[in-house]
Amino acid sequence: MNVSLRRAAYAILGAFVLLAGSVAYIQAVNGPDLRDDPRNPRVVAWRTGRQRGPIVSSDGTTLASSRPSPDDPTLYERIYPEGDLYAHTVGFTSVLYGSRGIERTRSDDLVSNRDSTISGVLNGLLGGDTKPRGIRLTIDHALQTAAAEALGTQKGSVVAIDPGTGAILAIVSYPRFDPNDLIGPDAGAAGTALESDAGEPLRDRSIDQTYAPGSVFKVVTTASGLDTGIVSPSSEFPDPISLELPGSESTISNYNGKVCDSGTSVTLEFAFIRSCNTVFGQLGMDLGGNQLGENSDAFGFNATVPYEFNVLKSFFPPRGTIENDPPATAQSAIGQRDVRATPLLMALVASAVANNGTVRTPYVVDEVFTSEGTIESAAAPSVWRRAMSPASASVLTDLMEQVVISGTGRKAAVPGIRIAGKTGTAQVTDKAPHAWFIGFGPVDAGPDIPQIAIAVVVESGGDFGESATGGSVAAPIAQQVLAAFFGV
Amino acid sequence: MTRRAEAGLIVAAALLAAIGVAIVEFTHGNWLDAQVSVTFLVFTASFGGVHLAMIRWAPGGSSLLVPTAAFLTAIGFIEIYRLDAHAAALQRWSLLVAALIAVSVLWGIRNTGVAVFRRYRYVMLTVAVGLLLLPLLPDSWPIHGATVNGSRLWVRIDIPGTTRVLSFQPGELAKILITIFLASYLSERAEAMAAVSRKIGSLKLPEPRHLGPVLIAAGAAFLVLTYQRDLGASLLLFGIFIGMLYIATGRSFYVITGAVLAAVAGGAAFLVFDHVQRRIEAWLDPFGHYSDAGYQTVQGLFAMGSGALTGSGIGLGRPDLIPAATTDFIFAAVAEEMGLAGSVAVLAGFALLIAAGFGIAIRSRDRFRKYLAGGLTVVIGLQAFIILGGVLRLLPITGLTLPFMSFGGSSLLANMVIIALLARVSHEERL
Repeated sequence: MNVSLRRAAYAILGAFVLLAGSVAYIQAVNGPDLRDDPRNPRVVAWRTGRQRGPIVSSDGTTLASSRPSPDDPTLYERIYPEGDLYAHTVGFTSVLYGSRGIERTRSDDLVSNRDSTISGVLNGLLGGDTKPRGIRLTIDHALQTAAAEALGTQKGSVVAIDPGTGAILAIVSYPRFDPNDLIGPDAGAAGTALESDAGEPLRDRSIDQTYAPGSVFKVVTTASGLDTGIVSPSSEFPDPISLELPGSESTISNYNGKVCDSGTSVTLEFAFIRSCNTVFGQLGMDLGGNQLGENSDAFGFNATVPYEFNVLKSFFPPRGTIENDPPATAQSAIGQRDVRATPLLMALVASAVANNGTVRTPYVVDEVFTSEGTIESAAAPSVWRRAMSPASASVLTDLMEQVVISGTGRKAAVPGIRIAGKTGTAQVTDKAPHAWFIGFGPVDAGPDIPQIAIAVVVESGGDFGESATGGSVAAPIAQQVLAAFFGV
Repeated sequence: MTRRAEAGLIVAAALLAAIGVAIVEFTHGNWLDAQVSVTFLVFTASFGGVHLAMIRWAPGGSSLLVPTAAFLTAIGFIEIYRLDAHAAALQRWSLLVAALIAVSVLWGIRNTGVAVFRRYRYVMLTVAVGLLLLPLLPDSWPIHGATVNGSRLWVRIDIPGTTRVLSFQPGELAKILITIFLASYLSERAEAMAAVSRKIGSLKLPEPRHLGPVLIAAGAAFLVLTYQRDLGASLLLFGIFIGMLYIATGRSFYVITGAVLAAVAGGAAFLVFDHVQRRIEAWLDPFGHYSDAGYQTVQGLFAMGSGALTGSGIGLGRPDLIPAATTDFIFAAVAEEMGLAGSVAVLAGFALLIAAGFGIAIRSRDRFRKYLAGGLTVVIGLQAFIILGGVLRLLPITGLTLPFMSFGGSSLLANMVIIALLARVSHEERL
């Protein structure tokens, strides 16, 4: 009888030895794999449930904040009071979908240091501040709102920059999403719907999408011509009804299919104001693919833009690939064929003209501040690259101002403010053209006068479809944003 | 171990619970909170009360039982508090009530000893069967069953004039009554059941008519499985029958027959019931069934794996991501926040309790007390093994509470009564 009791005891205690072996295997041997498994929601969840610091716009509008969860007062939940307006830049932190935007790049500042590390604990014990930091963006809430309203429900992007510093003033992409949907109880369904949405609302078109720039690229081509000294505004070009491309059947013609000026000859200035493809195709061939490539690279094509987030590289054909191919060079010079640019890069092109040929490094985080409001670190504006000489920038400024006064960009004009700009209508295979506008103002800015550079792209013509042009679709959007900036 | 040392260990367990609560509060940014002292007082009063009752009415009882139970309850309580402060407040009340009932049991049998139960064994069997059938009462009745997570194990009593309900799991109490019945029944029939009618090799076969109890056990367990759709409860019930038959007769024939029957029944359940089939598939490949049947198991594994050796620290892990973290998966929550160190300590606590229980059984001179102590120990050990095995993937996952540690008043009450009965049995050996 006691024998059977002993055996039963051994059997159950033996089972517990098995349990101990099993838990030791799971925790000690298999532990790191389980902890780092991509499906393990702990790493993100650890952050989402804790108090996070606020994200505010430059004028102090709250863009993200934490409040105690109504379900569990020991946990916090994140809210984005402005809904979809800052979706791509502020981003989100979601258990299911990871984190994006500032919520991702600045998560170390935004989370509490109460219990993350030994040094954090020591710091807390020594009376240091363990509360999460806050982030102040360079974006102006009124301007961001104006940009979103101006773009409306057309696919595309608006990017506005302070050319003197590189600070992003507004950055909008449409379609967007509401980050609150991705952290709520229906996050799973909302995320699935967003991921399968053909409009790609999760993609930030400002930095993560390139478009053929079309005629706005003529700013780069003109800068190349001016910097190399082969042309001036008064240089005369032939004015054919269409430009024959040597060694090929194809030709380049102007938007309306007519001659640019009188049909005999035309100045570069006149051609720039009217955006004549024939003249810039010829200028491109005169410069050659390699030279045009050099100057494109100076503006930041084929380079990684140093920014808060990854920016897709803008593309101009590499050296040697189109040097002996005049048709390709001519088409590249008018921003067609394989040339592609992000809206952010085109805003930087406009900012280079505004800023004497110098491109500032774009940045969107202005300050990191403590829970008591003292500034812990502030952005240090820096020069990213020299795109062209100050003299070329000055000439281009005059040309671009004429575009807005009497050329294709008239609809971007702001009463009482000298605006410079360039339109673009980029032809796309099988789709309506992309409508572009890049520009800046005020032209006569002295020191201490705030300036703004802007790029607008409306994908596939937006609400206008096939009949869209940069001047009719994109310029009015830029006008609204510029008017909001200048308070007109 | 002296009574003084026992008292010291009980205070230590109460302190452990209180410190755990203090740590949880600290991770939420609060300093010392009233919850800390309330927890300390409730633990001291509950386990101290049982301790004092033992001194008074079972002075010879084993002094290992109450401190070990207090330790396990404290560890479980810390995680319950960390996961759900509201549930923890309920659990404290349950602990006080459970301790009061345990004290009442010690008082009730102070003169008669456990032998008094033998007189009422058929009453107990009837009550046990009634309790097991209670969850089948239709939902519209004032006392009715309730289906939770697909299992019909719960009974709810609507409190008249209010919207409040009193819920309990009658199966928790039924398992004690069945153990008492079996101990009593077997103490009279075991010799006949052990008698060898013939042999096959070294396997000694009893007379065929003694197969009856085994078949009844299998039938009852299968009934529970069918009507209440609960694998854990039926496995536990069946295990108690077979375990006690083996302890009483020493015939491995019963264990083998039981295992064969269990395999046949399990195979049939696998073929007939979709929910059993999904459980088995999720057991074999939880990651392949991550989005449905395997989700809970995988979340448990993530929790334990993330805990590693020393754990995330109390209040710093995310055991709230595990479904049923306060009940079935309380062990995974402990393992995440207290690490391998904590989980092995819990297993050692159970092993200590089981070893103490079997020690009491082995030392018993009386057949009934021997079977009773052995059976009650099997109840705790088997229940802990079935649910821990499920969490640790040694077995398919089944819904059972982890004795002393899971959130739930019925479970706590039943296990405290088991401790009181074991204490009384061990006392009676020293009379």
